[in-house]
Amino acid sequence: MNTDELIASITTDIRPVGRNAVGWRLATGVIAGALVSTLLIVATLGFRPDLWLTMHGATFWMKWGYTISLAAVAIYVTARLARPDPGSLRRLWLIAVPVLALAAVGAGELIRTPRSEWLAMWLGHSWTKCPWLVLMLAVPVFIGLLWSFRRLAPTRLRAAGAVAGLAAGAFSATVYCLHCPEVSAIFVLTWYSLGILLAASLGAIVGPRLLRW
Amino acid sequence: MRADENQLRAWMIDGLDGDGDALACLLRALVPLLRNFFRRRVQSCGDDDIEDLVQEVLIAVHSRRATFDRNRVFTAWLFSIARYKMVDQFRRSRRTVPIEGLDDILIAEGFESSSNARLDVDALLDTLPAKQARAIRATKIEGASVAEAAIAAGIGESDIKVSVHRGLKALAARISGQTR
Repeated sequence: MNTDELIASITTDIRPVGRNAVGWRLATGVIAGALVSTLLIVATLGFRPDLWLTMHGATFWMKWGYTISLAAVAIYVTARLARPDPGSLRRLWLIAVPVLALAAVGAGELIRTPRSEWLAMWLGHSWTKCPWLVLMLAVPVFIGLLWSFRRLAPTRLRAAGAVAGLAAGAFSATVYCLHCPEVSAIFVLTWYSLGILLAASLGAIVGPRLLRW
Repeated sequence: MRADENQLRAWMIDGLDGDGDALACLLRALVPLLRNFFRRRVQSCGDDDIEDLVQEVLIAVHSRRATFDRNRVFTAWLFSIARYKMVDQFRRSRRTVPIEGLDDILIAEGFESSSNARLDVDALLDTLPAKQARAIRATKIEGASVAEAAIAAGIGESDIKVSVHRGLKALAARISGQTR
């Protein structure tokens, strides 16, 4: 096709694009993916039976506070890397805020708990499964983000893949809270974060291949 | 007709608002700009390859137009896409890379180290008058030709040349003053 025909054919039916189109596009992909992850939990693992009750307690909100703030930072950095001008990872240091806050809560827990119970508190009942479940539930969210990226233009594919994986992991951990009955901050800090990190690493590995345009 | 940054940006914004004719005007105006851009850099390729690259950039400008931020410079966004497509093409074809394209690839792949250097350069350029800084940035950093830079800035070619010359001279004086 010659260039003039190409221009004529792609500009015939143009849909308006809003100012916050990048944000909306990412939000749509993430929310659709997170819904699929939630349905997967409903279908296989089930919500924790005391979910309604626990939502009135501080522990649940400590966990959600951690995963949601990680997700917010990751999605913000993803949005910066989704544009072709040299986007930067510089704001990624913000994830230190929730990590340090949770570490402080964890330190408080350790002080209040006798030393003999530390190991049980750290490993909980599900440390062997938790990171893998977070990683698996991150897959639908990551697929949602891949859909978002089809209209976006990242030029640093590995970095974009890594932060998209980070965002997918953090959203997946948020959804996983609906199932997971663990209560201690150091459990969340270790095993949730491990799952999220696995998702980010996987994102960095597949990013250059899957985000190419 | 030669279009400058303001005209291109106005067309782009109308295109984002749903005006297909404006977008068509924009894409037609980009064709000569992009042909120049790639011809200067991809010298081992034939005209067909250049035209493929131009078309790929036009399609990306259209399909990924949501990533243009209305508050930013249009030509910077455009040339970022063009540079990405060029590097992508080198990777795909895996042919020996001509020296002309090599620095672009190194810039894209050695991003960490180059971004540090860029911070230093930015700090230095900030000390210059805006017009000189912009001319140096366009011709010496982004790799535009004098003609492209003149179009983007909407001023004459000789004006660009003079700005670059004076700006570099001022920078040289400042750096040697620092080391002394």
